[in-house]
Amino acid sequence: MALNPSPLEPDPGPGPFLACGRDAALVWDHSAAGESPDEHERGCPHCIAAAADARGLDSLVHRMAAERPEPPASVVDRVMVAVRTELRPLDVLTLPSPHGPARLSRAAAAAVLRHTVDGMSGLRARSCRIDQASDTVAGEPGHGADVRITVTARFGVDLASVTARVRQMVAAAGEQALGVPVRRVDIEVVDVYGGDL
Amino acid sequence: MSQGGVAFAAAPAPDPTGPAPDGLDEQTLVVRAQEGDARAFEMLARRHQDALYRLAVRVMGDPAEAEDALQEALLDAWRRIGRFRGESAFSTWMYRVVTNRCMGMLRRRRPVPVERIEAPAPARDSPERAAERDAGMAALHRAIAALPDDLRVCWVLREMEGLGYTEISEITRATEDAVRGRIHRARTKLAEAMRSWR
Repeated sequence: MALNPSPLEPDPGPGPFLACGRDAALVWDHSAAGESPDEHERGCPHCIAAAADARGLDSLVHRMAAERPEPPASVVDRVMVAVRTELRPLDVLTLPSPHGPARLSRAAAAAVLRHTVDGMSGLRARSCRIDQASDTVAGEPGHGADVRITVTARFGVDLASVTARVRQMVAAAGEQALGVPVRRVDIEVVDVYGGDL
Repeated sequence: MSQGGVAFAAAPAPDPTGPAPDGLDEQTLVVRAQEGDARAFEMLARRHQDALYRLAVRVMGDPAEAEDALQEALLDAWRRIGRFRGESAFSTWMYRVVTNRCMGMLRRRRPVPVERIEAPAPARDSPERAAERDAGMAALHRAIAALPDDLRVCWVLREMEGLGYTEISEITRATEDAVRGRIHRARTKLAEAMRSWR
């Protein structure tokens, strides 16, 4: 096979060059794309042979690439069953409760807060991190949560009024839907979508 | 922090329904999945599964094994998504996870006799020409199955998925020169095999 690297090349790796020194893959690509050969390629036996191979194989390769085998629908379903059984059970928030501390998955709590933001017009939540304070305030065990949330906003949305609303909605959802007292909500608008920019 | 005071003119009409869950951009889904959101991961898996399955079925040469490879690779992706740092496109990272899973399965399996490699069911087409072309497709399937694994992976990514050499180099962790060399060796072997078939 005509795969010897040119002696002038330091170390071209395992044979990307034709014996004439041309990059074999590129000669092939040009031919398969139907581009006309340059002067060297018209006269070089190595390039002519590579181009002929490329043209010879091209229609079958294209036909094969046009086949789009699809996976059975059950694959993702099975994966998700496994994913949900191995969700990190130890990563939990502690909730104040008259019957002793209750626990709530941190990922599930974040999903609820994100969902609250997604429900607001022109906003989507991206990251939502919940840190629970370990200190105690006024003799109560420390359950207060600090929420850091990043959002993307639709082009045109008034960010000033929106962040105030997000803060209010997230705090309300934390306290009412989750039972986690929210101490602080940091909001960062990280991206804008939907604008014809 | 909140960007107080920033407002855009010409606000579009309010969206009464909110964003469709599957209308979320990829970066948002990746961040959510990294924070343990299984639904976000499921959307990513559904978006990418067709391309990943095509890669697996062509590398493994067998639909049942490709299905296993895809399933295991998606689980690998869930377990490792926290390590995805966004240095490459997410699709590149997913291709890499599938490639690694396929290569692992190929290393463990006993060689399949090339004669047993089946081409997919022939497409309907005009009579004799179709028969000849389907025979050509079957021969090409066998020739691809006979390639060394690392050559086949690079060839499939290039010729079937249409990826560039840089992306293939990121997926396979080989240098771009090595990738171009492998693709050329694969092409040359396939051309030889098809010459002798004709």
